[in-house]
Amino acid sequence: MPEDEIVESRQSSHAVDQLAAWVGGNWQNLQRARSFTRLQLSGLRTNLRDYDNEDASIVVFGSLARDEATPGSDLDWTLLVDGKANPEHLRLVQAIRRIVPSDKGPGVEGIFGNLAFSHQILHCIGGEDDSNANTTLRILLLLESRPIGNKEAWESIQSNILRRYIDEDQGLWSKSNTRGVPLFLLNDIARYWRIMVVDFAYKQRERENAGYALRNIKLGLSRKLIYASGILSCFSCELDFPGKQLFKEGNAQRTVEHLRETFRKTPLEIVASTLIRYDTLREPSKRLFDSYDRFVGLLASEEPTDNGKCPRKRLNELKPDELAADSLFIEAQAIRRDFGAALGDIFLRMESPIQQLMIERGVF
Amino acid sequence: MRPIGFSTGALALSDYRQGLSQLRGKAIDSIELSALRFNELRPLLETLPTLNLSAYTNIGLHAPSRFDAVQEIEIAELLRAHVKPNWPIVLHPDAIHDPSVWLEFGSQLAIENMDRRKPIGRTAEELSSIFELLPDATLCFDIGHARQCDTSMTEAYRVLHRFAHKLRWVHLSEVNTLSHHESLSYAAIWAFSEVAHLIPESVPIILEARITADQMDAEIEKAKRALPLRALSTLIA
Repeated sequence: MPEDEIVESRQSSHAVDQLAAWVGGNWQNLQRARSFTRLQLSGLRTNLRDYDNEDASIVVFGSLARDEATPGSDLDWTLLVDGKANPEHLRLVQAIRRIVPSDKGPGVEGIFGNLAFSHQILHCIGGEDDSNANTTLRILLLLESRPIGNKEAWESIQSNILRRYIDEDQGLWSKSNTRGVPLFLLNDIARYWRIMVVDFAYKQRERENAGYALRNIKLGLSRKLIYASGILSCFSCELDFPGKQLFKEGNAQRTVEHLRETFRKTPLEIVASTLIRYDTLREPSKRLFDSYDRFVGLLASEEPTDNGKCPRKRLNELKPDELAADSLFIEAQAIRRDFGAALGDIFLRMESPIQQLMIERGVF
Repeated sequence: MRPIGFSTGALALSDYRQGLSQLRGKAIDSIELSALRFNELRPLLETLPTLNLSAYTNIGLHAPSRFDAVQEIEIAELLRAHVKPNWPIVLHPDAIHDPSVWLEFGSQLAIENMDRRKPIGRTAEELSSIFELLPDATLCFDIGHARQCDTSMTEAYRVLHRFAHKLRWVHLSEVNTLSHHESLSYAAIWAFSEVAHLIPESVPIILEARITADQMDAEIEKAKRALPLRALSTLIA
């Protein structure tokens, strides 16, 4: 990147703003969503301030954790406990359920709006006891979570999860392996992505296609985004510290620290702060964020469409036989295609260290 | 060989004479005199000249952990008058009302990182804010507190890395979920050994486990395993 552009792009400290300045992007929907998210989080912090402690963090997931909340967004949360089991924990959960708006309660599969303990999340990585729900919660704690108020339990669990992925990745510590990409973690993130995709089909069947169109668009955009950010986070251990510098001290702490700092960022920040380094990726970076901005704008819009419903509601209520002719779904599908094509260019088609690592480590 | 010793508070609470008595004849070269309550400080300081501390090459004093703003000034005056300049004074950051009272102690003041119950002084970031106010202060690193805050030992690693130049004193014990200082367990020994290489050999290690006199030798042996001067793998092999 030319020096004057670097200076210009660094005038804002937010990675997405920096990328916008570099590629000439105008992503107002993302900025608005960020502001809206801050307002929402501030309200939640006020309302929930007495319901956590140093052993239990209230953690939000989804768009609130990604800085992408819009007026119709779901509010997914979990009371995450890292300490002694206590009968009061359930009462806390019940109290939180009463505070969080009633139409945005626990998710259908029961991961959210509930209680989660560190033991299961930390100890059951792989094996019979690692259910889809457990894997989902564990990976979301890394890729897409944010504590409201007390953060100690969340931080501790996140660090310990990362420590397991790094400590137990034998290949990572092998001298014959010249790349510092944590494959145990990368593979679990990939597994999570595949779970989401397979569960998409499962939910379609279970819910008799209810909400198909909205889930379809989210799968191809916000879900795919967090997968991409997870891949780039793993690659950052090599891209930011070539020659396995992170592993020179012979213990996991430096790598855990690096990944913990990386996962403090939102998925968009992770992607933006990585892409801005590669001139060859400037054009697809703009396409990627242009399309994502359109997606967030579409979900944020409260303007009635031609059937009187706002886009989010209309997409959520579309029936399968209406999809092919629905102008809004067609528009949303185009956004999804543009986003997917840009990701394909960045990860697979255009030459860069990201493409190289994707071929070497990301596929097999 | 690391300098190693005990806190009189851990051995005998406010009865420092009893604590010193229990330590007589033990193969240790360091000690921390403890006055965790305000009303314990003056008696301890006034009897300092009468105590036989000749066996110890490293002596520190733990200041009270809770006091009001008026008491804070009195405590600082007492410490200034009675504590030798080369003795570190361990202070809990959450006890401080007015940092300017403590500025004059410079590097003699050793700020201790806190357990997870405390609102400040737990992480590298929180300690940074305190050292901004007390730029010359040093660090008393309580490794048990750091592990209680983050059992992955990443926060311990971060604190030791960021404040390597300030590290003066180490507290060693297992800190349980109720923030009680206990004898080292196997898990704690294993966890502490992961950051042992970041603690220089010359920094005194003060054991804080609440143990009886007949458990002291065993605790010293555990401490040596927890903070080895060579890789843990070679000790286990």
